[in-house]
Amino acid sequence: MMLETHLRQAATVLLESAIRIAPPDTRDWGRAMAGELNYVEGPWAAVMWAAGGASVLAKQALVSLFIPGRRGQDLVPDGGLFAKNASLRKAALVIGGACVLAALLFFAAPPFRQAIGVALRPWSFMFRMASGNIQPGITTLAKQTEMRHDPEGLAFCAVRLQDAHESARQAEEAVRLDPNLLWVYAVVAMRHPELRETSQWVEKLERWDPQNALFHLIAAESIVRPHHPLGTWAPPNQDQDQAWRTAMAAAFQSPKFDDYLDRVADLTRKVVARYGFYDPYEVESRAELDLPRSAIENSERFALSLLRSGQELEARGDLQGAREQYWAVARYGQVIDSQGHTGFEHWGGTYLQSMAYKPLKALSEKEGNSAEAALFGYLAAKLDPVKGEHASVPKESAFGLDTSRRNAAVVEISGLMILIFSGLVVIALTILIAGTRRSAGPAAQRAKPVATMVVLTSAVGLLFSSVTLYLTYRPYWYIFQSAILNGDRVQTRDLQEFLSSMQMLPGVPPRLYLLLDALLYSRSPSFLFYVWTGVTLLGVSGLVLILLRHLLGHPRSHAP
Amino acid sequence: MKTPRISPETLLVLERFLERPTDWRYGYELSRETGLKSGTLYPILMRLEKYSLLEACWVATEDGVPPRHTYRLTPNGLELARNKLAEARPRSMVRQPAFCNG
Repeated sequence: MMLETHLRQAATVLLESAIRIAPPDTRDWGRAMAGELNYVEGPWAAVMWAAGGASVLAKQALVSLFIPGRRGQDLVPDGGLFAKNASLRKAALVIGGACVLAALLFFAAPPFRQAIGVALRPWSFMFRMASGNIQPGITTLAKQTEMRHDPEGLAFCAVRLQDAHESARQAEEAVRLDPNLLWVYAVVAMRHPELRETSQWVEKLERWDPQNALFHLIAAESIVRPHHPLGTWAPPNQDQDQAWRTAMAAAFQSPKFDDYLDRVADLTRKVVARYGFYDPYEVESRAELDLPRSAIENSERFALSLLRSGQELEARGDLQGAREQYWAVARYGQVIDSQGHTGFEHWGGTYLQSMAYKPLKALSEKEGNSAEAALFGYLAAKLDPVKGEHASVPKESAFGLDTSRRNAAVVEISGLMILIFSGLVVIALTILIAGTRRSAGPAAQRAKPVATMVVLTSAVGLLFSSVTLYLTYRPYWYIFQSAILNGDRVQTRDLQEFLSSMQMLPGVPPRLYLLLDALLYSRSPSFLFYVWTGVTLLGVSGLVLILLRHLLGHPRSHAP
Repeated sequence: MKTPRISPETLLVLERFLERPTDWRYGYELSRETGLKSGTLYPILMRLEKYSLLEACWVATEDGVPPRHTYRLTPNGLELARNKLAEARPRSMVRQPAFCNG
């Protein structure tokens, strides 16, 4: 019985509250719904009745916000909810203030501060493009490390700077100060094989770590890069082809493969902690430190030439020679697969192995060695790039790409909402403060109820957006902290996927994004930011227009 | 005469009004008869009233209980309801045999 009474009271309170926020011309309808409440059978049915009625009134209130002057009336012809009831207006301002304060308190939490930076990063990219400095954080850090003559700091910046010449300069300086950082040349050259320093760096690296296949891959890429700058392959001339073949043959004969990503991770931990450089975008952009796709493409091309050569030897009856050619490919694939650090490297290694095991199986069958043929057949099937266990780049992330994309969209939108709501709160507060002056005109007075409503709704929106941003980004903050403080890189792939998803337009399927990007790519990959900035500006202009219409454009219909 | 968009739910409401065209009807009563929730029913009533197809009046109740809003169709509303239901019925009748035979 008590429960029934409480539920009916709750239903009444709900409807009465909705009537208060409803536009005046629909309040009678609210009262009509409230009048029926006494006849609704069952307490829960009464609550549902009230909820349905409240939703109708709330919708009317929202519509009236955008379409003022419906039926010849203003949004708030008598001042609406807040006009006559000064105490209610004060209560709304107190609640709004509390929400703003609560939202501001989030700034005390490090994950939130980092989340704000990450959320606004895609939007600020446009301005950085305009200023000509797309890596202001790294550039500033590079200056600091240079002034301090800190070789590790210089190396950290060198491997991340997108400007090839600046990157090379920093790397040279880092190695000059600390020769043990010679491996930095390899990481920089891997990203910028077109640098003229590459050949002398490769010579030094080969002396320092003579068995590593990586330097030969860099050398090979530096030979062919001028011929396919945009990823298109054009055969180099005879001399270049010979040099490329020599480099690739050396890579295929190397017993070791090290991309130095472990050293990069150690260096990162030290430098980030030393300089307090907690910028996930710059620190965790491992995709750019990963083995370039061109290295696997070069390997595939050379592997195919070895396999062709093996088939020719086989046709001439030189089975031993053919076997050596096939084995060279399989062995190189094993080296890359077993010693690589990233999913892409493992995938490349298994792919090359699968290419070799098929002709090896056929050769073993030809030689009558059925046991060996069965083994190669099993390996070829297992490593098949289409049907095998390694059919795609192995999944390294725990959350999954879809989750990362969804979270990235939520973070992007939450960050934008925080900006918009903050702006609205500031504008509405300014109007309210202006309205308190004695000299304030009638327009300012009339604006006070609307401004109060804007303060309240924007403050609630600000708090909601802040909570959403904090909760969505927090797991990534933990991943980043674990990687930096403890060297725990188990989930860094999730962070990297999330950060790369942050570059995408929320709600647009990645394939469409790639298509648009390909269609509109014109030296500046930032068209999406221009699109979004346009959308945002349009939205903000619309809101400002609505406010202006309410505040200035509509004289009260019942004004004396 | 401008008329509102007539949805299937609006037709349901008009049908109920036509059953007793001169009677004043309560919101909850209409809700029970049509099975429409308050969130669906009242926007329909508001729209009909906006186009002068529906008239509403308050009815006093016993002391302490809020008055009730009652509704009935205006002559224009009755005409529209009859026309729309007449249009709708043949369509439903055409479909019916297919189900019966099936």
